[in-house]
Amino acid sequence: MDVEEGVGDGSLVLLKQGAEAKVFELNFVGRRSVVKERFSKKYRHPMLDAKLTLKRLNAEARCMTKARRLGVCTPALYAVDPVLHSLTFEYVDGPAVKDVLLEFGSNGIVEERLDDIAVQIGDAIAKLHDGGLIHGDLTTSNMLIRNVVNQLVLIDFGLSFTSTLPEDKAVDLYVLERALLSMHSSCGNVMDRILAAYRKSSKQWSATFNKLAQGAILLYCILGFALFRLLPVIFVFPF
Amino acid sequence: MKVFQINGNNTLSLALFAEVANSKELLDSMQAGNLELEVSFMNASLIPDVFPVLAAAHKALVSKSRDSLTTRTLHSELVYNISGSKHITESLKRCGISDSCTYVLAARFNASPEDMKVVEKLINGKEVDLVELESRANQAQILKHYKISAMELGISSLADAITCRIASRDAL
Repeated sequence: MDVEEGVGDGSLVLLKQGAEAKVFELNFVGRRSVVKERFSKKYRHPMLDAKLTLKRLNAEARCMTKARRLGVCTPALYAVDPVLHSLTFEYVDGPAVKDVLLEFGSNGIVEERLDDIAVQIGDAIAKLHDGGLIHGDLTTSNMLIRNVVNQLVLIDFGLSFTSTLPEDKAVDLYVLERALLSMHSSCGNVMDRILAAYRKSSKQWSATFNKLAQGAILLYCILGFALFRLLPVIFVFPF
Repeated sequence: MKVFQINGNNTLSLALFAEVANSKELLDSMQAGNLELEVSFMNASLIPDVFPVLAAAHKALVSKSRDSLTTRTLHSELVYNISGSKHITESLKRCGISDSCTYVLAARFNASPEDMKVVEKLINGKEVDLVELESRANQAQILKHYKISAMELGISSLADAITCRIASRDAL
């Protein structure tokens, strides 16, 4: 009779801490795993805090598993704990897309790899959107590349929700565009490659792209208008 | 048989049996509550790997430690959890053993070696190694029961897909 290895709960290693949650690494019944624990916010009313935390925890678990059902790779969910407000999932071995792109920025671009990553990103987002799931926080640090197989894994579904509105999908893409522009402008126009892949695999790309373009125009209008309104002020008070 | 550590000092002992002839008796005595000791019997053709069972066991132990079991005992909770569904009767029927079931996975929490000998004696069948779970599983039945699409299988193993359903059941 042999006892399978498996460290219990005693070996927590803090990986990262964000504004909403702490992320630990631990061993879950013999597998390397990651625990995301939402902590309570002391500035909120305790009752509201408990409700919000639990609602977001459940929403995240739901959206992660929904994404998998749509054929988008996310870490496999191992456990949900509504009392500790924690999610336990598979440990994905590999770098974030952010680090890969930043390295391209400093050490030169490997075109083939960049293209592969962009296509995978566009494809994954198209699958999510066609299935009516909005990620809500598409940044390059929320995308991992699994080592060896080079497979894209989306993480952090804490801001995800379900919607079929083209506006919501366009905002999702817009967030990504902004993130790419501010972090990775040295990699050339990655967004165009992502959108090309999105267009190829999404059946509803046209409505989404319309909104994305409208949004951009609207934004320039608002900016232009604001500037126009500010001009007299600048003239009157030059200092 | 094999013993797995779940959390803290709790263990789960698993033993797999093929060509089981006395499922009906086991089921009857289990329902009458006169088995020698408490044990979970699962329909092993729905289980392609031990990991989902361990995740379900972990969940059962956590509920037990908080006195929030949904079913009556820790061992029935394991069968209920492995089903990934909220329907208790249906879960026990499909994932537990039935009259005609010949392929059974037996599980007991914190079992002593003597306990497992008793379990082996209860079951009238041939014990096989746990590695055979994968080859003996009924994939079509698993896909139907857990509602796993071909799209999902493209990015995930069968075991991971089942584990996700077990974990996220109460969040849905």
